[in-house]
This record gives sequence, structure tokens and C-alpha cells, in this order.
Amino acid sequence: MASQANELFSEIDKLRIQLLHNAEQTVQRADEERRNSEILALIENIILKIVTSVSQEEAPALHLPKRSSWDNVSFDSSVGLQMNSETTFTVVRSDSPASITKFAQIVKILTVIYELILSNSYATKRDIYYNDTQLFGSQATVDHIVDDISCLLKVPRRSLHVLATSKGLITGDLCYLEEDGSRMDCRASNTAIPISSNISGIKNIVSSARFVLIVEKDATFQRLLDDHVCAKLSPCIMITGKGVPDVNSRLMVRKLWDTLHIPIFALVDADPYGIEIMCIYKYGSRAMSFEARSLTVPSVMWLGLLPSDLKRLRVPENALIPLTKKDDAKLNSLLKRPYVQNQPDWLKEIELMQQTKVKAEIQSLAAIAPDFLINVYLPNKLRYGGWV
Amino acid sequence: MCPSHDLNLYPFSRGFLQHWTKGSTPSSQQYFNITMTLELIEVLRLLMLATKQHKRHGPEKKGGLLVLIQTETNSDDNFYCAVAAAGPWCAGVNMAELHSVFTDVMRRLHPCSRPCPEPDIEDLCAFTDLYGSLRVFLNFLMKNVHVCKEKCQHQIETFLHSFCMTNAEIKVHLKLQSGQKHCQKEFRVKDYLRVMLFSQTPVYLDVSVNIHLESPEREQRCHGGRPDIGSSLHLSIPPKIVEQGLLGTVSLQPVTLLKPCVLQYPNRATNLTQCQVLVYNPSNIPASNASAFVQNFSAHLNCEDLGLQSHRLSFQVIPSVGSVYKVEQVNSPESCVKSSLFSIDLSLVLFLFLQHIDPFITDVSDTMATEVLLEHHLGEILLYNQQIVTNAMTNALRKTLMAQNKRKKEQEKMQSACDSIISSTLRIISCSSNMDFRKACLDSMQVHNTKKMSETFSESLRRVIFLKFVPKGACCSDQIGQKLEKSSKHLRVEM
Repeated sequence: MASQANELFSEIDKLRIQLLHNAEQTVQRADEERRNSEILALIENIILKIVTSVSQEEAPALHLPKRSSWDNVSFDSSVGLQMNSETTFTVVRSDSPASITKFAQIVKILTVIYELILSNSYATKRDIYYNDTQLFGSQATVDHIVDDISCLLKVPRRSLHVLATSKGLITGDLCYLEEDGSRMDCRASNTAIPISSNISGIKNIVSSARFVLIVEKDATFQRLLDDHVCAKLSPCIMITGKGVPDVNSRLMVRKLWDTLHIPIFALVDADPYGIEIMCIYKYGSRAMSFEARSLTVPSVMWLGLLPSDLKRLRVPENALIPLTKKDDAKLNSLLKRPYVQNQPDWLKEIELMQQTKVKAEIQSLAAIAPDFLINVYLPNKLRYGGWV
Repeated sequence: MCPSHDLNLYPFSRGFLQHWTKGSTPSSQQYFNITMTLELIEVLRLLMLATKQHKRHGPEKKGGLLVLIQTETNSDDNFYCAVAAAGPWCAGVNMAELHSVFTDVMRRLHPCSRPCPEPDIEDLCAFTDLYGSLRVFLNFLMKNVHVCKEKCQHQIETFLHSFCMTNAEIKVHLKLQSGQKHCQKEFRVKDYLRVMLFSQTPVYLDVSVNIHLESPEREQRCHGGRPDIGSSLHLSIPPKIVEQGLLGTVSLQPVTLLKPCVLQYPNRATNLTQCQVLVYNPSNIPASNASAFVQNFSAHLNCEDLGLQSHRLSFQVIPSVGSVYKVEQVNSPESCVKSSLFSIDLSLVLFLFLQHIDPFITDVSDTMATEVLLEHHLGEILLYNQQIVTNAMTNALRKTLMAQNKRKKEQEKMQSACDSIISSTLRIISCSSNMDFRKACLDSMQVHNTKKMSETFSESLRRVIFLKFVPKGACCSDQIGQKLEKSSKHLRVEM
């Protein structure tokens, strides 16, 4: 049994050694935690500028870095996508009907954050929305502005005392303490716990996991959970962001890497959106590039489902789906991204998908055999180093 | 009223005069008293028809018009009136034809009248000094005036004021002399725009505003209102009026004018306070006999459709202005907009221009007679075409008010956002424990405590936001196309 377990993890252990060696040479993660007083001063500076503009009979305006522009982002292989020091800005004016509401929303949220920090309390983005639903209009507006403020002040959102309710789940060989002292034990084999809202407050992480498996979709995650995959591939940790991961899910993956330094594998659908989701974990997103250093895990490996697996495993054709025009556009977009060029093996897989013009979900492996994923695909992939 | 009037005066207007001698409709008296100013109206009608053909072509033709009224010696009921014209606007008049028609009109109005005394040469010299030598001079009697002179003066002024609104290129001088009392008024238009009606008829619309709007540079300020030209529509002539001799086609074209132009003040609140409906004859002089229709028009207006759901319209007659709808806001919790120190009152004028075309009528005399007949039956014609005229008027108003209603909604949004900005900013200042920061804020606003800070910052931010001024390039006046030609005259202040 022990030898079988060792056989399962031999390639993983080799990978771990290699990753640890590379990690020593990478740039240290910047300590982005700022003191509360610094953040208060940053907010006061913005308010003073507003007051000064008004005193000079000029309409105040806020200059927000453009988070959605590729022009403001550059790629560093050790970090991922990160925001340039010189960026273009969007001007939010207070004297234009088109932008005054946004101006008011930003100043309102700055006020909320200011008071949270002063009182050393925390609120979720949902709490902020309900603070003034008429002004904000929608939760999405609050979410967006909180990230804009985080980027404007160059501090992570958690330093603003704003929490987000996590949507991700985690399970496996892992125990830790939350900031409030609650002990979280993820080891129950067929249940998962929600990812913490306050990742930076997590301490005393205890785990003997040999790897972390990121699962793209909740459906696949639940299926693996039901099949006790963590027991079968023990010791490991399994995590899902339920699609495009939120910041907390990404922070958690990063936290596991920083603490455990074990290989992190991604199990995503063999389609352009699955690849993009995996890239978010590995290299980050354009919108959150200002916080790349604390969110990205450049060591993430693509375990499956690879486009080359479809041919190799002779997945039945009726389980394959033709690419749509949107899929083609997404693939072309991925090929233009700087990080794809940095990964020749990933580039090959993406080009193969372009050539075959088909995609497949992880569930397509069930067409080979119902338990193919759990009993054959995953163990063999891990045993024989079938990742890229 | 005037028993000396010959009922065979105008063959086509017999019905009109019968109507008139029996004591004309309350509506026409309400507008201006026909019994007093009939002669003046007819003379102006004649003059405008005589100059119309000449005005159609070529560039703008300006000039002056003098109306000189004196009481007859030993009679308080008769007035002598002299109408003089000078300047390019009347240069092409066929004087022989004009005098012939004028003599004919006066003979019919006053068959037994004696020659009128010439006015004081000094009165005419002042006029010719301004506009050059007289091209037209018509001297006549206004007879049997039975109302007080003050009311007469008001009504003449109202008529001339309305006249100037659509003949803005002509400066009108009114002189009234009664005994030792002399009164002079000038009707000058500060800013006007040329508008082409019925595709070929130029009209010079008064677009000037009477209120002062602050702006950093006077030259950059738009000086007028915004006319919107509606589509012309054909009116059907009731059969019985056709039998009386009104043939050809009658058309009506609405033009709305919202004053002042507020595009350069994008954030200021606006408030419609007045709506005026003016009807003009084909000769471009104000028409009577439409007051009843105009007054009843409000009953057909859907205020909600026009975005005036929180308003009510009340019909009033204002001396020197004429018939207007006063627009009042009905205060309710839902419609109450925060009172704004920066609100601009808007007035809306709906011009209804008439056109009559009969290819078999060419000379001035027949044209004049036809217009008199048209004017006499105007109320009936408008009523006969009530549906389409009301629709055209409503559509014209709706189109013009659409932009205002959108602006109002944006205004409400801005007010709400501004309140939020003020409260958020002041909250941070008041709860900060950073003395340097608080002091910097107070010093910036030149106040000594947070209470004063609250008042000053609030007032200053509102001023900065709501008094925003944009340069003239953003104004509609520069963007209006072929139909409108800008006039950039800055004349002396109007009366």
C-alpha cells in the first residue's frame, strides 16, 4: 500500500522539488498589507483634493486607473499579469450628468471604508450595497467600485476592511484557524466547506497534502466529492471557485502555495473558457492586475482535460462538441496573450484545439466508462506526470 | 359701434363687418380691440403685403416703422394716425399701387372723413435720421374710439409687440400724443433668427431673452432661444366660407420657440412658467379671431404626455404680452423638486403661421380682401380642422419639451448625487482625528468650524456643479442647419 502510494506521488514529488527550486529564484511577494493609518491618510488625501477643487471654483474629479485596458498591463513570468506603474486613467467628473452618480458612489464607499477602518470593523460588499441601494442601484456596481478603490489606493481589498462572501469550496487534508479562532477541518471525505472570507486572517495551517487540485466547475467538484476522490488520492486538497474564481478563492490557492509549497494542478474542461479560468489562477486577470503579486500562482500546472487527451483516449465523437464562433474568438484572444507564448506546451494544446475544432467537458470521460475519471484518468495522470 | 361704416366696404368681408358692427365676439375683443385699431391693422396689413414679394428674395432687409398717433383737436374719440416706413425692407414697394389701395381702404372705412393734418416735422426727422428718407407715409383717421386711452395704448403696444416678434428685422417706433401728454416707445429686438416657412417665406423671429444669465465671457454666451419648425399642414375651408369667396388653399405651420437657450448651462434646473400661442396672418401680422380656439386648446392638452404632469395651465391675458398660458407647478411630495437657486425660468411661444394661396389672386387689393375674409373666419376654420390643428400644436409642443423633460430627470439625479457627495465628504472631515487634515480642509474653504464648513462647502459645490457653463461651440445656434441663419446683431435694449 505504501509503495503504491509512493508510486502515485513519485512524479508529483519530483515536480515539487523542481518548483521549490524555481520558487527561490522568483521575486519575493510584496508585502502589500498596509497599516490602517496609511489607508486613512490616502482617503483623506482624496477628500482634501475634492475640497480644494471646490474652494477654487472647479468641479472636483477623480482619476481612476483603467483596469480593463490591456495597455495598462504587462506580463512577468514570475508574477503573471500586473499593472504598469504608468497607467491611463478614466476621469470621473462631478459636473457631468453621465458621471456624477459614479462620483457620488465612489465617495460614499470611501466614507464607508473610512468608518470601517476607524472602528476596526468589517463589512461585506453586500452590506455596503444595502447601505444605500438607491444610490448604488446594483450589487455589481458596488463590487466594481470597491475594486476601483482598491486599485486607486493601491491596497488590497481586505485592507479596506471590505469582505466578500466567498463562493468557492474546499475539501481535503487541511486544517486551519480562522481569524476569530474558529477551527476549520476540511478532512470530512464527502463534504466541502466554503472558502473563508478573510484569507489573510487564516493561521495555523496544517496539512500533509502532496498536491492541490483546482477543479473548474462545481458539478465536477461535487462528483469528485461524492466519489471520495480525496480519500482515493489522499493526501490532497481539492478546491473549486465554481467557474471564474473570486478573489478569495484565488487568495486561498495562493495561500496554500505560500504555506505548503506543493504542486497545484488544474482540472478544467477542454474548452477555451476552461483554459481562461485556469490562466486566471496561474497568471491573474486584467481587472485585478494591480494585486497580481498576492493573487497569482505561476506554478499551476494543467492536469486535464487536455485537447491531446481527447485523441489519445479516443473519447467518443458524440461526447465532443464543435467549437462555436465565440469559442474561436476566445481562442484567438488567448493566443494573443503574453503568457500563452511563455508556455510552449499550453500553446501546442490550444493550437490542437483550433485544428480539431472540437471541445469537451470533463464529463465526456464518462462516455468511455462511468468511473473513468476517478479510477483511471486522474490516478494515471498523477502517477505518470501527465500534466503540462 | 361705428354706424358710418359702409357694409359694402369689402365685398368678401361683409360678414365680418356685420359681425363687427353688432359687437364682435368676446374673444376678439379680449385679444385686442378691433374697433380701435382696425385702421392701423389694415394699414399694416397693406404695408406687409406690399413688401412681401420684395422680401422673399435676397438677403435680410432691415429698416424702421413709425406709428404716430395723435388725438384730434376737440375730440377725445378720434385719433390721427401716421404710419411711416424707411429702410431697405420697404424699398421695393410699388408706391402707386400702395397709395391707390390705401385710398380705397380709407374711403371705405371713412367715406366722409376730412383730410388728416400732417404730423410734426420734428417727429419725422428723428425717424429719418435713423433710417433714411421715408419710402412710405400713410396718414389716416382712427375713428370713434370708445374706450379709455390707457387701455387703447396697452392694446396697441400688445399688437406691435406681437408684430415685432415675427418681423424682428424692423424696428418699430410708437409715439402717442394726447393733449400735452407725450409717450414714446421703441420696439427693438436684441437677437433674431431668420426662419424659412412654407419652404420659401422668410420670417425674422425674435429669439432674444429678457433675463440675465451669468457667464464668464459675454461673447461666449448664446443670445437667443431655439426655434423648432414643425411641418406645415393643409386646412380645409368650410363650405359656407368657400361660398363667401375664400378660395384657394390655406396652410398652417407651427413654430415653437423656447427661451432662453440653456444648452450652455447643462446643469441648471429649468422651469417652464409661460406658454404663449400666437397666430399670424399670411401677411405676417398678428391675427385675431383665434383666441377662443387658443383658449380652448388647453382643454385638449395632455399635460402628462408633455411631461407637465405636475403642472397646471391657466389662461390669462397679460397687458403688453397678450394671451398666455401661465404654467404653474402643483406642489406634491412626488413632484416637488428641491428649490434651486440656479433655476432658469423658460417661456415657450408657439407661433402658428398661416398661408393662403390662390393662383387667381395677384394684386395687393384682392390679396388684402381675401386675408380679411380669412381672418374673419379664422375661428371657424380652426374649429373645422380642430383635430389636425390640435394634433399639430401638441406635437410641436411635445417635440420641444422632450429635451426639457429629459433634462429635468437628469437634474433630479444630479441633485440626489450632489447631496450624497456633500454628506460623504463632510462625514469624513467631521469624524477624522487627523488635525492637519481637518485644518487643511477648513483653511481651504476659509472657514473656522465644521458647521460653517458644512454650509460653505455645500453651497460652493452646488454652485460649481449647477452653474457649469460650456463655451458657445456646444450651443444649438451653431448647429442649426439650412433653415435658420444666425443673426449676430446686438441692438439697443428693447422696450
